[in-house]
Amino acid sequence: MRRRPFSVFLLVIAIASGLVVLLGYWINLPALATLRDLFVRWAAILAGMAVLVGILNLLYVHWLKVSQPKPGGAYSLALLIAFVLTFLVAIVDTPTGSWSLWIFRYVQLPVEASLLALLAITLLVAVFRMLHRRFDWFSLVFIGTAILILVGSTYLPEVNMPVLQSLRTWLLQVPTVAGARGILLGIGIGVVATGVRILTGSDRPYEG
Amino acid sequence: MNLSAWLSAEILGLGFLLTFALLFYIFYYWKHRASYQKELEELRRIDAFTRLRKTIGQAIENGRGLQISIGSGGLNGIRGAAGLVSLSMLLVITQKSCKGDQSPQVTSGDGALASLAQDTLHKAYRLAAVESNSKASQNQVTGITPFSYAAGAMLTILDQPLQANLLAGNFGSEAGLLAEAGERSSQLVIAGSDGLPAQSVMLATADDALIGEELFAGGAYLSAEPSHEASVKAQDILRWIIILIILAGVILKLAGAL
Repeated sequence: MRRRPFSVFLLVIAIASGLVVLLGYWINLPALATLRDLFVRWAAILAGMAVLVGILNLLYVHWLKVSQPKPGGAYSLALLIAFVLTFLVAIVDTPTGSWSLWIFRYVQLPVEASLLALLAITLLVAVFRMLHRRFDWFSLVFIGTAILILVGSTYLPEVNMPVLQSLRTWLLQVPTVAGARGILLGIGIGVVATGVRILTGSDRPYEG
Repeated sequence: MNLSAWLSAEILGLGFLLTFALLFYIFYYWKHRASYQKELEELRRIDAFTRLRKTIGQAIENGRGLQISIGSGGLNGIRGAAGLVSLSMLLVITQKSCKGDQSPQVTSGDGALASLAQDTLHKAYRLAAVESNSKASQNQVTGITPFSYAAGAMLTILDQPLQANLLAGNFGSEAGLLAEAGERSSQLVIAGSDGLPAQSVMLATADDALIGEELFAGGAYLSAEPSHEASVKAQDILRWIIILIILAGVILKLAGAL
């Protein structure tokens, strides 16, 4: 496939910017360090603008749902009204004002906390479903370990379980840490691989 | 000279990066001679990707869509890599499924990631020569905090007849809510993340979970480009090098040389 001229331009910009930032960490040249810092600052500004783009996209999609009546349109309407109200309060009262903080403390925080509580129930149901779906040694070890950790962390009055607590500590400090480090090393290699593919222009998520 | 003082994090990092780049290029040019996609499957089969490939075909046959959640990790820092991998998977999946009756739905929890997802969707439709099938509403930012993102994406999952729900990107434990929503709608749920809490939650809630670095092999297993396959091969060799270095370190430590 022939590459479009604009794509080549984007590719050159992306690779050059990536290399400047990367080399800025290894080569001790003041000019390179200044350029690196400038690029990182631009990236931060662009990321801020991207949040605005994200919010506009969110509003656009929900506006479409409200304007073309569909099931669940009421939720979209609620979102649009909540957005307008919160936006007006933040404009009038500033984002750190008492009204803005009241909305954060008494609306957003409880809603997110209840989702977290819902997640606990969801996971409990999922564990039983997992046994039904995939009854093998891995599932049994997974569930057994989860139960041991939970019981070992629970305080039961009048019940002293030093063996269980030691087992829990050993599980957390030895196999869990070893496994987590192994997974993190793999993820680290994956991150390097992704970075190299972007830097060499093999992956180009920006050429549209 | 003291070995540990000389081997600073920067030097190690540079060596790691250069080794990977060298291996990547060796395999990239070697790839042009022969495909080892089949070899890769035989060597290390990842069931999640095999099922995903089948599901894309089934979605087109059944006239149902696919939902792809690319997470809320953004592009800044180390979490950005998972987002970028999800975009390369999105490109392949959209290219394969965009000729069906239902367009794939993409949800994300970050504006920058959503902008790149929009670009990726355009590219996929352009490469498949069906640009007219593209809809602006198929790419949504459903919330900008992890849980608000999950709450919004759950509605998208429950809203329409979908064949499968793919979670690929940076997630936290909120991934459990998304997987559960897919399960409730009788969709196949395939999930992978770079976060440890998300991986353990996904193992319990998803039909197929991508553990460890399996997410980063997504491009190669979905047959994206030669570079992805070269990258997986280079990753494997680098992993063996790290294992040997760790073992050497253990032996040297036991011998009292470190």
